[in-house]
Amino acid sequence: MAMTAAALDAAHDGLRAAGIDFVSGLPDGWQRPLHERVELDPDIRYVPVCNEGVGFSICSGAWLGGKKPALIMENSGIRVASEYIARISLGTGVPVTLLCSYRGDVGETEHWGIPHGIVAEPLLQALRIKYLIVRHVEDLAKSIVRAKRIAEAQLHPAAVLVSGDCVWED
Amino acid sequence: MALDRYEWLGRLAGRIPDDALVMSTYIGAVSFEWAHHTEEHHRSAHLGQMGDVIGLALGLALALPHRKVVCLDGDGSVLMELGQLVAMGEQQPGNLVVFVVDNGVYESIGWSSQGRRPTATAGQVDLAAIAAGCGVPYTVDVTAEDELDAEMDLAFSRDVCSFINVRTRPGHSHVRPRRTDGIEDKYRFVRYVERLEGIWITGVPPQDIALMKGKEH
Repeated sequence: MAMTAAALDAAHDGLRAAGIDFVSGLPDGWQRPLHERVELDPDIRYVPVCNEGVGFSICSGAWLGGKKPALIMENSGIRVASEYIARISLGTGVPVTLLCSYRGDVGETEHWGIPHGIVAEPLLQALRIKYLIVRHVEDLAKSIVRAKRIAEAQLHPAAVLVSGDCVWED
Repeated sequence: MALDRYEWLGRLAGRIPDDALVMSTYIGAVSFEWAHHTEEHHRSAHLGQMGDVIGLALGLALALPHRKVVCLDGDGSVLMELGQLVAMGEQQPGNLVVFVVDNGVYESIGWSSQGRRPTATAGQVDLAAIAAGCGVPYTVDVTAEDELDAEMDLAFSRDVCSFINVRTRPGHSHVRPRRTDGIEDKYRFVRYVERLEGIWITGVPPQDIALMKGKEH
């Protein structure tokens, strides 16, 4: 199961419209096609990592060098990255846009996704990260643009959680 | 034989290229002594903390591939997040040079009559070997002062992604702590990079202000 073709196009369009030129991330089942697409985009520097916390650190350093970074990951990665989001951004303030698969959302089919859904939103709130939940493909691109916009305005991450019709065609 | 940290950081401060950028630890002896040696020069970002210094430096090096980026980290910090070395070995930016102050102890937490709390490098762990195993093109474990001078000159005279682990004696130099926090450090570093590179990192860029003035609201 991966994001739909329409969601893939919308996510990529959203990243480009937002001016994202640097992406780090760890692929998951839902957003794997987006990682593949971004890796081939000549206007985006793609840096794969084995750990979302490292990805957040790399994105933060890239921002200090003038890039507009996004971190693409499963929502389980928010837990891993939370240590570095807290250390770097709660103490310093860096605008990294987070694009996360919302595993464990209503409609989930996999038992292992449930804990990810339980933790994601409370953790984002604890980290003072504003977020949008996108369940309709037509909302995806503009949500990425808006998340990046507030991230830059507040100099702190903002997140988009992707689920619903972006993944399931039931 | 291990090196004296204050002394070798001073020699490093005198050797780095004028137009290089530095990602350093945020608090602790390395940061305080580096700031002392460099008189708080704004080219240094004292923004790294346990487990994220190399990641920050790597991102900065990838964003500015024409600019030499020097990273100053400690062994405890590197050990906390070894995944940084994986990313460094995969990306291999030729403009990144990492120096690790490897003193084999958690220096900044203090000590008692039992001595300092050891890190894993006091045992069998070899950070340079780990970095090499992750694919970092040039790694070295330095134990002598003349060896370090040669490594510094080599690192700054070529474009090879390098990891230089410096076996360092524990001990404080009693340099005073820095006064600034991460917010102030960020802004002064960002403004320095903006001037150095002629780019715009925070706020509305001048060309967008011109566009806004032309818009009807």
